[in-house]
Amino acid sequence: MTDMASTEQTFQIAESVDEALRAIAAGARPIAGGTDLVVGSRQGKESLPPALVAIDRLAELATVQSVAGGLRVGAVVNHATLMTHPDIVANYTGIADGAALVGSPATRNTGTLGGNVMNGSPAMDTGAPLAVLDARVELQSGAGTRLVPVLDLWTGPGTTSAAPDELCTAVILPERPERSASAYVRLEYRRAMEIAVVGAAAAVTLDDDGTIADIAVALTAVAPTVTAVAAVEELVGAAVDQDLLDNVAELASAHATPISDLRAGDTYRRHTVGVMAKRAVAAAAARARGEHIAVPVNRSLGIGAAQ
Amino acid sequence: MTLSNAPESPRFVRADGVDKVSGTGRYAADMQLPGMLHAKFAYAEVAHAEILALDVTAALAVPGVLAVLTADDVPDIRYSPVIPDRRLFAKDVVRFEGEILAAVAATTPEAATAAVDAIEVTLRPLPTVNDIDAAMADGAPLIHPEWETYDVSGDTVRDGNTTSFSSLSHGDVDAGMAEADHVVTSRYVADGCHAVPIEPRAVLAQWEGEKVTVWTSTQVPFDARAGVCQTLELPTNRVRIIVPHLGGGFGGKCGFHFEAHVAALARAAGRPVKLVFSRAEEFLAPDRRREGMVVEVTTGIRDDGTITARRGWVAIDNGAYAADAAFFPQLAAMHVAGPYKVPNLHIDAHLVYTNHQPSGSVRAPTAPQACWALESHTDELAGTVGMDPVAFRRLNGLDSGAVGPVGQHYDDIGLQACIDEATAIVDYGSPLPDNEAIGVAIGWWPSLPAPSGAYVKLDDDGSGQIITGAQECGTGAVMTLRQLAADELGMEPESFEIIYQDTGVAPYDMGATGSQTLLNNGRAVVEASAQIATELKALAADHLEAAAADIVLADGHASVAGTPGAKVSIAELAGVAAEGRLLIGHGSAAPLDAPPLVGATCVGDQGMAAWVAPQFSCHAVRVRLDRDTGVARVMAVGAGHDSGTIINPVGATGQVEGGVLMGIGQALTEVTRYGEDGRQLNPALLEYKLQTAADAPEITTRFVQSANAEAGPRGAKGLAEAPNVPTAAAIANALAKLIGRPVRRLPMTAERIWEEAQ
Repeated sequence: MTDMASTEQTFQIAESVDEALRAIAAGARPIAGGTDLVVGSRQGKESLPPALVAIDRLAELATVQSVAGGLRVGAVVNHATLMTHPDIVANYTGIADGAALVGSPATRNTGTLGGNVMNGSPAMDTGAPLAVLDARVELQSGAGTRLVPVLDLWTGPGTTSAAPDELCTAVILPERPERSASAYVRLEYRRAMEIAVVGAAAAVTLDDDGTIADIAVALTAVAPTVTAVAAVEELVGAAVDQDLLDNVAELASAHATPISDLRAGDTYRRHTVGVMAKRAVAAAAARARGEHIAVPVNRSLGIGAAQ
Repeated sequence: MTLSNAPESPRFVRADGVDKVSGTGRYAADMQLPGMLHAKFAYAEVAHAEILALDVTAALAVPGVLAVLTADDVPDIRYSPVIPDRRLFAKDVVRFEGEILAAVAATTPEAATAAVDAIEVTLRPLPTVNDIDAAMADGAPLIHPEWETYDVSGDTVRDGNTTSFSSLSHGDVDAGMAEADHVVTSRYVADGCHAVPIEPRAVLAQWEGEKVTVWTSTQVPFDARAGVCQTLELPTNRVRIIVPHLGGGFGGKCGFHFEAHVAALARAAGRPVKLVFSRAEEFLAPDRRREGMVVEVTTGIRDDGTITARRGWVAIDNGAYAADAAFFPQLAAMHVAGPYKVPNLHIDAHLVYTNHQPSGSVRAPTAPQACWALESHTDELAGTVGMDPVAFRRLNGLDSGAVGPVGQHYDDIGLQACIDEATAIVDYGSPLPDNEAIGVAIGWWPSLPAPSGAYVKLDDDGSGQIITGAQECGTGAVMTLRQLAADELGMEPESFEIIYQDTGVAPYDMGATGSQTLLNNGRAVVEASAQIATELKALAADHLEAAAADIVLADGHASVAGTPGAKVSIAELAGVAAEGRLLIGHGSAAPLDAPPLVGATCVGDQGMAAWVAPQFSCHAVRVRLDRDTGVARVMAVGAGHDSGTIINPVGATGQVEGGVLMGIGQALTEVTRYGEDGRQLNPALLEYKLQTAADAPEITTRFVQSANAEAGPRGAKGLAEAPNVPTAAAIANALAKLIGRPVRRLPMTAERIWEEAQ
């Protein structure tokens, strides 16, 4: 009966985080929305793991709450919530921009932030916004809890620095300064059921005089992981004008290390990620000045962020 | 000539609508039978190879497996219309990746998959012919070295990898070019794409004694029956094909596909067997895929814009087997000729074998690509003499009384009115922002006469049934039959049930193919209904003591003309008939003769050079371009169509809207990509980019209803394919205006547009 044993699968519904952690320590894989795990197995990418522990019913992982120094977003908060939650839309708008672009209404109501983060795809739409907003991932295991900056979490396509027994329980978003805002735009070939060809997020803080007090830019689908463009720090103090935006585009394109695949060639990706970075900075700066650009930026400005 | 606007259309409730939107409708994959087994196919998974060994012993030993079939287990028969070059199972050689090596039936899908994995095959790779150029190169490997032994029908002209060659000639091209002030040459290359019906196909077969019933998702049940009969050597009356609701087809489910494999498995296993395709299989295995194409066209024009001559060369990627594509060269040549007054014409067109998946009829085969090439070329012509592209088309486009490019005369056609309507809808000529432009293209498409039958009967309570061979693939054409019967009998459409998609009960129809359903089956239903009308009038004449000639059928009653009080309900008359001579009508669409060609020569004629009741169209499309990324978005579409009389405006408008959206996909995002090994790289919906509802622009349709006595019921022409013809071309012309030159590759992806604009 070894054949039977080898194909046996278990599915456990955790009633507490501790129960989930024990199951994971014993070798189970956590599952919430299943939009990566189940879909991937149906497409033949990777078989379903033999042991699954469902965490989607854990209420303590499903909350968005203000905490000292920021906002704590539970790991199983779904994309439909991310794109509409007042605190996120008001203060972490880039995350709402990204969440609103994911898949379809069904995907957004099923797929979770924790799943998206731990799946580690360089094309994930919430990744670049999390990076520019200095998000940290809360990882729990029997040994305790630690916080890891998202850019230290992602180590390659589909890989993370989390230990096998660690569960992502939340994402922590630090409080934002005054006159600060964020935005995410992506290049897309159609307006629904799409995956980023390239994308860019920006977080911008303005000084009293409207110049750049702080700026962060991160890029989607142009490197093995979501990647931050550190060189934009040199733009602090600059006015938000066409020169600045052109500089952003140039720095982003220079930073990208894209591949050629079915979605686009490397030359085109390198060029367009600069365009996306420029548009993300422009949108974030406009929001920081108090202008209203509805979520998602892509829809407000047209497909592919067409002006 | 009259116009109708869809918003003014009467209410039309589809007979299958509630089933489909409420989820109560059943599709082939929903079917379950006691003892049913599950089928899986073992595919070649290489583009071209010799089969050195194929051993299914281990597969048969997998627990739960009841049958494994290969070419050795079925009659050695080659099938396909015109060019029978295909077997059910690969024998000796595989010519594309989706070729079937073996079929398995097992108690579970998992066991069937395990058996497929256990099949041992040894393949010796052969050189892969991966595109049109490679197929036509000197010394190219022959995909079918034995092509001369195939039992080909008609005037098909073949040579080596050329599956089918056609030429169209009219007038004297050299003389016409000599008269020209300008000669413009263009070359365009279109990639292939797919039909992508939302329902992956399913087939279920059950034998009872010597007879087999096959439930299948096909657009052509009688064709499927013929294929089963031919390949399994069965008489027609032992095979019954039933199609539950069909979840779309777009041509991809035309032809005979997998019904015989499943029937053979069910016979071998002694149990019902069901096959359900995955999305990847739906992309890879059928022999219906839209063909890649190269078009080279040279046109001579005078300074005033008048066309003097055209020369063209077309090559079409047929893939590994002919499927139904023998007529493609001639049809593509007609679209490169175009609906224009071209006094001198010569076009050569080649269909060539490659190691790709076979291409076959997908909605308006050859037309979106060939029209895209010709209409892009036409805007280049207009630009050469500084003419507005619409004015150029008005000058050279066909009109009533004109002679077409292959010598056909047209009496009353609505092409010029289509141009008027489409351009008016989008305010052609009005100022636009600098990131927007309007492109215009015209197209044409044949109506396809074919034998077609139907019965109509009224039962004792006066409720009706239409028993028809016609197939509904979503167009609404079969649904419209109720309206024809009801109008003929003075009844309501809702009084009729439709019994359809069952070869065991209905007479022949060609199926949901060639936009032919209403054209042909509509005439059959009218004929059958008219017979009942005659019977009802005779009954009413007796009942009302009047002459039958004075009886009028309306509002569910028979009455005496001029004497409104003298009437009897049709239900009552049906009750009388039920006691005596039953109300049964039968119709068979009379042949429609092809019009004569005057002064034209056609080599390799496949009957596509002169068209019965040709349809005309013009699409005008407003496109917005993001110049920094090349992402184009279609903002508004004006569609003018001459499909003759429109019987069901709601359904007809839906057909145009669907065709436009399909055309937008072909224009911008839909493409099948091949690796260097000749295998598809994107057989999945994430990387094969269909348009979505969110991408749909505002589409406004107006029908130009030209009179045509030689058409279908009440002067209706075909419609389902025509809206798919000029959309990509119109988008191309808008893009060319925006970037200053045409994008010469289809689809015009964002990346290609951006590259062209650099």
